[in-house]
Amino acid sequence: MLAPVSWLKDYVDINVSPEKLAEKLVAIGFEVEGIEYQAKKATSVKTCKILSVEKHPNADKLRVAQVDIGGKTIQVVTNVAVEGGEYTAVALDGAVLADGKTIKRGELRGVLSEGMFCGPEEIGFTAADIDGQKEDDILRFAEGTELGIDAAVALGFDDVVLDVSVTANRPDCNSIYKLAKEVAVALGTECREPEIGYKATGASVNEVVSVTVKDKDLCPRYMAACVRDVKIFPSPEKIRRRLRAVGIRPINNIVDITNYVLIEIGQPMHAFDSRYLAGGKIVVRRAEEGEHIVTLDGKDNTLNSSMLAICDAEKPVAVAGIMGGEYSGIQPDTSTIVFESAKFARDSVRRTSRALNLRSDSSARFEKGIDFASQEYGLERALTLVYETGSGVIGKGVIDVKVNYEKVRDVRFTTAKLRRILGCAVPEKQLVAILSRLGIPVEKEEDGVFTAHVPDARSDIEGVNDIAEEFIRVYGYSHVKPTLFAHSALTRGGVPADIAFRNRVKGELVSLGLNECITYSFTSPVFADRLRIPADSELRRTVELVNPLGEALSVMRTVLTHSMLEVLAYNAAHFNKSASLFEIAKTYHPKSLPLTELPEEKEKLVIGMYGADADYFALKGVLDGLFRALRVEPGYTRSSLAFLHPGRGADIEVEGSVIGYAGEIHPDVASEYGADVRLYAAELDLDALVKLCTAGARFKEFSKYPPVERDLAVVVSDDVQAGDMIAAVKEAGIADMTDAEVFDVYRGAQVGEGMKSIAMNFSFASPVRTLTDDAIASEMAKILALLEGKFDAKIRA
Amino acid sequence: MKAQIDSIKQAALAAVEEADGTQALGEVRVRFLGKSGEMTSLMKGLSALSKEERPEMGKLLNEARTEIEAALELKLAAARESEKAARLQAEAVDVTLPGRAPRTGTLHPITQVREDIVKVFLGMGFEVAEGPEIESDLYNFQLLNVPKDHPARDMQDTFYVNDSYVLRTHTSPMQARMMTTKKPPIRVVIPGRVYRSDDDASHSPIFHQIEGLAVDRYITMGDLEGCLTAFAQQMFTKETKIRLRPSYFPFTEPSVEVDVTCAICGGKGCRVCKGTGWVEILGAGIVNPAVLEMCGIDSRQYSGFAFGLGLERIAMIKYGIPNIKLFYENDVRFLKQFNGEVER
Repeated sequence: MLAPVSWLKDYVDINVSPEKLAEKLVAIGFEVEGIEYQAKKATSVKTCKILSVEKHPNADKLRVAQVDIGGKTIQVVTNVAVEGGEYTAVALDGAVLADGKTIKRGELRGVLSEGMFCGPEEIGFTAADIDGQKEDDILRFAEGTELGIDAAVALGFDDVVLDVSVTANRPDCNSIYKLAKEVAVALGTECREPEIGYKATGASVNEVVSVTVKDKDLCPRYMAACVRDVKIFPSPEKIRRRLRAVGIRPINNIVDITNYVLIEIGQPMHAFDSRYLAGGKIVVRRAEEGEHIVTLDGKDNTLNSSMLAICDAEKPVAVAGIMGGEYSGIQPDTSTIVFESAKFARDSVRRTSRALNLRSDSSARFEKGIDFASQEYGLERALTLVYETGSGVIGKGVIDVKVNYEKVRDVRFTTAKLRRILGCAVPEKQLVAILSRLGIPVEKEEDGVFTAHVPDARSDIEGVNDIAEEFIRVYGYSHVKPTLFAHSALTRGGVPADIAFRNRVKGELVSLGLNECITYSFTSPVFADRLRIPADSELRRTVELVNPLGEALSVMRTVLTHSMLEVLAYNAAHFNKSASLFEIAKTYHPKSLPLTELPEEKEKLVIGMYGADADYFALKGVLDGLFRALRVEPGYTRSSLAFLHPGRGADIEVEGSVIGYAGEIHPDVASEYGADVRLYAAELDLDALVKLCTAGARFKEFSKYPPVERDLAVVVSDDVQAGDMIAAVKEAGIADMTDAEVFDVYRGAQVGEGMKSIAMNFSFASPVRTLTDDAIASEMAKILALLEGKFDAKIRA
Repeated sequence: MKAQIDSIKQAALAAVEEADGTQALGEVRVRFLGKSGEMTSLMKGLSALSKEERPEMGKLLNEARTEIEAALELKLAAARESEKAARLQAEAVDVTLPGRAPRTGTLHPITQVREDIVKVFLGMGFEVAEGPEIESDLYNFQLLNVPKDHPARDMQDTFYVNDSYVLRTHTSPMQARMMTTKKPPIRVVIPGRVYRSDDDASHSPIFHQIEGLAVDRYITMGDLEGCLTAFAQQMFTKETKIRLRPSYFPFTEPSVEVDVTCAICGGKGCRVCKGTGWVEILGAGIVNPAVLEMCGIDSRQYSGFAFGLGLERIAMIKYGIPNIKLFYENDVRFLKQFNGEVER
């Protein structure tokens, strides 16, 4: 909330700088987000008098003025139609304006100009902030205004405004009065009470209005008073200035008084024109289903029976605590008004305000919560201001309809318990002194138990922990000394297996040269079409947000590939020649729609790459490296996924279940993502993979004898897959064979149409002897026979 | 023959003297000492001499041969040395040329900071847990002392799935999930993604937090301060100090904001800390007894502390990253920067 220091000073003496005051407030729990010196939004903008004006010799639209800035005359070139004799404001050489612009002396069309005449915007205000100020005009001061002083000060803008952030547990402090109480605590001084003093001379309020509260659960207190012979005029300067300082535009004396009280006491008020209260009645009740009210802002609202309305004998005249009806407010000819000062239940105001999409300063205040004492303070303060400003004749008596409430709540505690919360010694004397300064009297009983009498306004204080906080925020956290579980049991700690597995996978991928990325969990619903996901696929069933930041961020993703392709395209479009990336993140799969239980969140891994070194085999190489590290042996079969290149995609299978895919992205899909390079991607189900990773490292005997290698090239039909051949050889139980791999594939005229040559390398080693040529030859013969039989392979000449 | 020996010896020594390099010396060896070399031929001629002459000539011959060998070896050793020196010189490389490194990748800075922080708390006996990102209103708000229509809901802009489910706005719901499923002593850190419907220059709708929770029979604000001091000193520098300031969170009471001495200026005041010498890094407090009770833990017997910190904020402070948006653009020129941090 915005708190002008001058206003705080009505209640508490402040003898420290605004900076020091801010520091003290922060220390007791009120963060100060800004300190605004009204007069310092611009520098070196001074009052001046224009002595004489001549035409500019070289420009028709410019004039040259001689200007008295208080004992010194300067020359200003201007395009403002000044005549001479005006009192205005001029920015001098070196002035910094509110928008940050610097003014320098210099020549304008060959004539020296030593400043610039200023309007309200140049010193950080608007025309509306200044009485009589015209739009798009320079500032105008009265004849005889002192020259050479700060223009803002001359206008009366000399306050310092603190922007105090009030936490949600202290709704009471959204008022100057209660904030001043905290200032007094922070400074160790006393706080004064609101000034109340007026004479009620008019006929009784009961002759003007009667109040019936039907729904006391939503309106625990309703107070009303009346003012007759109301005169409508602009408020006094002080009130208008203070309202402007906190960002409220002055309207007229009566409206200003309600706003002034809202800021000063924290009590929202409403002033009804009694002519529009049919039957002279105020009935506070839940609206009837479908009842209408057109509010002050011209909006037609349909109410329902959960909403509280202020009604007259016939109809709603206000949405309780939120906004008055269109005719309920002050008119130029208003003569009798009824002030409402009520307490409405905060959750009801909040629900209604959101349901109707209707907000006001009043509803914002009610939503935070209001205590029982404010209604009285607010009404009395408003009547005092009516009296002081001569705004009308105050009717005798006030109407006060209220429920019984606890003025004081008792909280019992011991200093031992406080010590157990805070971990520091709690001297009783200071404890009692601090709480009493906070308006919480404390009594000590014989058994050492304290009782704190907490006033209604401090609804946040419910138990001993709250007492501990009140004490320590004033006593100071510097009294708490760091300990490391001084009175606690040892605990084991540790990382669960699934998180450890993820970290392991990340580590492997980094060592394989990939960079980790992190993308948004929500995405555009177009992802499913982009990835050609079949219409009946479960992956199209998504959790949707009701209030997304936009269509493009509106559904929780069921796949990671979409985000990865976006990242690859982004990098390709931003001068990066290559990228090799991965992400491990969750995908979200609803069990029911609409959601009635938590969706399943699956952990997935996506890999993506592009660039000169990227191709299907570079991608598969990364996967091979990962699977080797995880001791998993996957199988690859040609994939039919529609977003992949039809000839360069594989489904990845481990122990009979498909756990993902790898491949080149179909060029049509890549171009839909805006990529003009080939993209490669793979996505794996990590939750499935972790279950398949059961094997740990085991020692295996290795041969001390020299290994022997043999190459073999065979010609097979083009549709034979090399992986199948290697797998068949590995399964055939070839004696002493330690490895088998493909090292070359050749297609061309030499091997014939529809055929290819596959060159393989086989390693042999025996743990017990040096292998003889004969022994190896016989095993190689077995291999060849196997390949001939199973794959119709012919040895390549 | 003696004269012959002498002349060959002189010729050989002269040849050795003249020969340049190991190859030339090798040729000299072959010419004089090889199988059909000149000395070898003389050796063969010994058999034609008389018995009386033979020993003497043999001796002479051997002496000459030894002398030549010695000269050869000496020269050869020197030649080898100088040839090696020449080779090594020729092999010199421009040591400033780039190395041929195996390509390695990087972890995202958020992951690195997350793991750094987790490590600190593992050392203090904390376990690691994670929880659902789509959360029920009950766990995200109600069990944390934020009933429906409570003003504290305005502290966080929430993404709603429907009235009962939200994208978690903080990692705190896992506090409730831990407390409702485990018995004290509990010490756990909970890292994860969180969501707020806030998207401007200094906010990202998705960011990361680490929640910390300790519940036992006797946990104090002092323990919180000690624990967070240890964290801050390991995360930033050993000289880092922390400061507690009163604040408000519905699920802790008392609640504090925690500041650390500015890592940039060491507390003297600079642009990063806006001249205050302190940088706010996290919110914390003593677990509100109402929360303990709602989660089925007897608040008369047990107390706890909790804290929550934003990983992006820590990473920005630690690495000097100026803009939160950079974390989610995933430009490889950004991602590649944050490797090889040495623990201090």
